[in-house]
Amino acid sequence: MIGQIKKPIEEILDYLDGKKKVVIYGCGGCATVFHTGGEAEVNEMKDILIKNGKDVLAAIAPPFGEFTCYAPWSKKRMEGYKKQISDCDAVLMLSCGDGLQVVREYILENEFGLTKAIYPATNPIGHMGGGPSLFREKCIQCGECELGKLAGICPMTQCAKGLLNGPCGGTRKDGKCEVNPDNDCAWVLIYKRLKELGELDKMREILPTKDWSKMQRPRELEVEPLSLE
Amino acid sequence: MVESFKKVLKKDNFIITAEIGPVKGTNTQEMVNSINLLKDKVDALNVTDNQSAVMRYPSLGGCLLINEREGEPIFQITCRDRNRLSIQGDLLFAYSRGIENVLCLTGDSLKMGDHPEAKPVYDIDSVQLIQLVRNLNSGKDHSGNDLDGGVDFCIGASATPSADPIEPQLIKFEKKLKAGIDFVQTQAVYDLDELKRFVDYSRSINKSVKILAGIVLLVSAGMAKWMNDNIPGIFVPQNLIDELAKMPKGEGLSQGIEIAGNLIKRIKDEKICDGVHIMAIGKEEKVPDILKAAGILKV
Repeated sequence: MIGQIKKPIEEILDYLDGKKKVVIYGCGGCATVFHTGGEAEVNEMKDILIKNGKDVLAAIAPPFGEFTCYAPWSKKRMEGYKKQISDCDAVLMLSCGDGLQVVREYILENEFGLTKAIYPATNPIGHMGGGPSLFREKCIQCGECELGKLAGICPMTQCAKGLLNGPCGGTRKDGKCEVNPDNDCAWVLIYKRLKELGELDKMREILPTKDWSKMQRPRELEVEPLSLE
Repeated sequence: MVESFKKVLKKDNFIITAEIGPVKGTNTQEMVNSINLLKDKVDALNVTDNQSAVMRYPSLGGCLLINEREGEPIFQITCRDRNRLSIQGDLLFAYSRGIENVLCLTGDSLKMGDHPEAKPVYDIDSVQLIQLVRNLNSGKDHSGNDLDGGVDFCIGASATPSADPIEPQLIKFEKKLKAGIDFVQTQAVYDLDELKRFVDYSRSINKSVKILAGIVLLVSAGMAKWMNDNIPGIFVPQNLIDELAKMPKGEGLSQGIEIAGNLIKRIKDEKICDGVHIMAIGKEEKVPDILKAAGILKV
């Protein structure tokens, strides 16, 4: 999931300066889990904007499970609000940057032929797993997963320096990281697990330099569309 | 002109290196003073690379200052601030200007330094950096392309004999040995039994790699305690802290020089390892006093 936090309301009101009619659009996926764009946050934002003199033409909160970044869903959802979207001065997205850009490009521009101001209400802070309350970044989507060699622990994500061949000199006595003392040293965790698994020899193999070209952005994928019926 | 470090490593003499920390700015006078003072008293001088992630005059520039004064530089290079292209370019430039020794390091985290908002690089790690230098030495760049005019670097690495837990560190060090190094300069050691265990381990894998024990000059009991609390992999034993604490105010430094001298003397006399690397951290002018205290430099 895409971990995210709310932007300061002052920043959002700055974006909306001079825009009277606003459509708010949340997300039933990650933004609901992280309490940045679920039904409650969409309604809360509606109240704030009204208090600040805005006309909220629509406050759209997709149900839990309906990801705004999945264009077929957001297209279906937004079709019901075409008039309000067409009339508004700005769309405020309570979603991650994926959701915002999917709505901007695939829905507003490609489907509706509209060039509308669209603004973010959240700061996305990483691809995270866990929950229900604590989430942690576990994967940087490097394009060449090394977890099979590393006891299922990714040092590119867990190690503050992303080191592939063992710990730096900064492992603390309690096995914590010098850079972030709250975090375990990824390489102490990898060492312990490989030892338990009887696979410590894997730690002795020199992993070659990473092919970062697999992270050349923007990456894209083409897949067989899912049937939503 | 001092002998090349490569040749020094081939002999059985006790090896001594020291560290020069570059200035923040372009006033290199103090660095030059330290270089002039030390270049003939030690076998080589390391120059740190944005040490502690604090932006400074570059390691490469410091190495040139040493070369221009006919000293022998060791170019410290970290993986934090440059990608593999930039590292190779700097290495080619260094070699073309007579810098033949390189110490391959990971680099302190940016979070520790004065530009914490910078983007860390770590395109490669210290083990891969050793491989990269080896590749250059074989006439190829890291992508396997031929070099027009090659290099022949003497390659060093660091190690942390006092790390706790030690085994993950030793496994990484084993990879550095496998990748192919000529010498190792350790993190500061004060417990010589720990140093002996590390040396035994290293030599059980590769007998020819020269081991230089890191000696950090202590200037006060407070500094020793601070290092124990804040620098992983450094452990100053309580008896040394007590010795420093007993000194009248302002005289900790002279005791620190004695402590460093005694450590070096024991390492040399008991043949614990092949030499020492003295890190005086801003007190480079005291290195000759340390060598005198060790009985290496005649008074």
